Amino acid sequence: MNNILFSGKSVRLTAANGDGDAEIVARWSRDTEYHRLSDDDPAYPQSTKQAKAWLERDDDRGFRFLIRTLSDQRLIGGVGLWIQNWAQGEAWVGIGIGERDCWGNGYGTDAMQLIVRYAFTELNLRRVSLGVFARNARAIRSYEKAGFRREGLVRGDCRRDGQRWDTVFMGILREEWEAMNK
Amino acid sequence: MSNEQLAMGNDQGLLVGRLVRLVAVNSEKDAEAIARWDVDSEYMRQLSSRAQLPSQAKKIKEYIEKEQIDDPRTIAFAVRTLADDRMIGFVAFDGIDWPHSAAFVAIGIGDPAYRGNGYGTDAMRVMLRYGFQELNLYRVQLNTFSYNERAVKSYLKAGFVSEGLQRGMLLRDGQRWDYIYMGLLRDEWLTLTNEP
Repeated sequence: MNNILFSGKSVRLTAANGDGDAEIVARWSRDTEYHRLSDDDPAYPQSTKQAKAWLERDDDRGFRFLIRTLSDQRLIGGVGLWIQNWAQGEAWVGIGIGERDCWGNGYGTDAMQLIVRYAFTELNLRRVSLGVFARNARAIRSYEKAGFRREGLVRGDCRRDGQRWDTVFMGILREEWEAMNK
Repeated sequence: MSNEQLAMGNDQGLLVGRLVRLVAVNSEKDAEAIARWDVDSEYMRQLSSRAQLPSQAKKIKEYIEKEQIDDPRTIAFAVRTLADDRMIGFVAFDGIDWPHSAAFVAIGIGDPAYRGNGYGTDAMRVMLRYGFQELNLYRVQLNTFSYNERAVKSYLKAGFVSEGLQRGMLLRDGQRWDYIYMGLLRDEWLTLTNEP
């Protein structure tokens, strides 16, 4: 079977599968550091049921995957594309590695490379965008490795723990990705 | 652009043609008109190969509202005359295949007084401009029937190319008719219309 779309060097992208997955995703939502790195929403732990409902949501604009290791099929994170406007061929990508012992090992970069390939070769998009906190240097390095470029910075748009955090916007264009993957 | 068009709120003229403009479907009022047209069996035969079954206005209203809110693969407009703002038909992209930038287009001029006078062709031209320039489509396609000669002529005028047919697919009043496939590509349309 040709699994090239969904299998990378160390991870594969899969569908959610049953309550076991939802339990793990709900556990990540209780990890404050994971939450702080993910987005600027107020921390709000999810129940397993809420996590399950989120995983099972089905629409034409969201393409959600769970990330599993190739070596032992362990569920370690999630990644998804969200399309605001199909006519422009642009999607926003979001990724999170929930299992802390898997941070900094290249799993996220591998998953990001897979989803970017999916965006350009399967959805035929023109551009993929993302936002990341400026303080999340590990994520920014990973996105750069996957081909994203820094495009701009919004100063102090997130207030956390008495500080203001900047958001960096990054993007990759189809032409850039094609040049990288010749 | 004329003052009347500006007064109608089409400040960009994107959805304005020579005879008609395309506007949002009003699920309450337009559903009633559509329900009236749906019992015109000649009209329905031009529109669809399915066995006819009149629908209740209420069901049509629900269908329109569901489509407007939940369905990113469909974009439908009501066709209104520029002269007197009369609702005479509809035009819609349905089954938009976004990853491939291709869509089906469907059109119907329900008010018989406005058939054969260029209103449909005008509405189709406006819809094509919307599809290629605003939705960035690459391809627009449609199906029609060999007995609907007026429609085929109108589609050819709007730039569609006949791409193939299924012979004798339809049985109407004891006769066999062909199912016709037509399509139009962005580059062909750009050449045809001298659009940038």
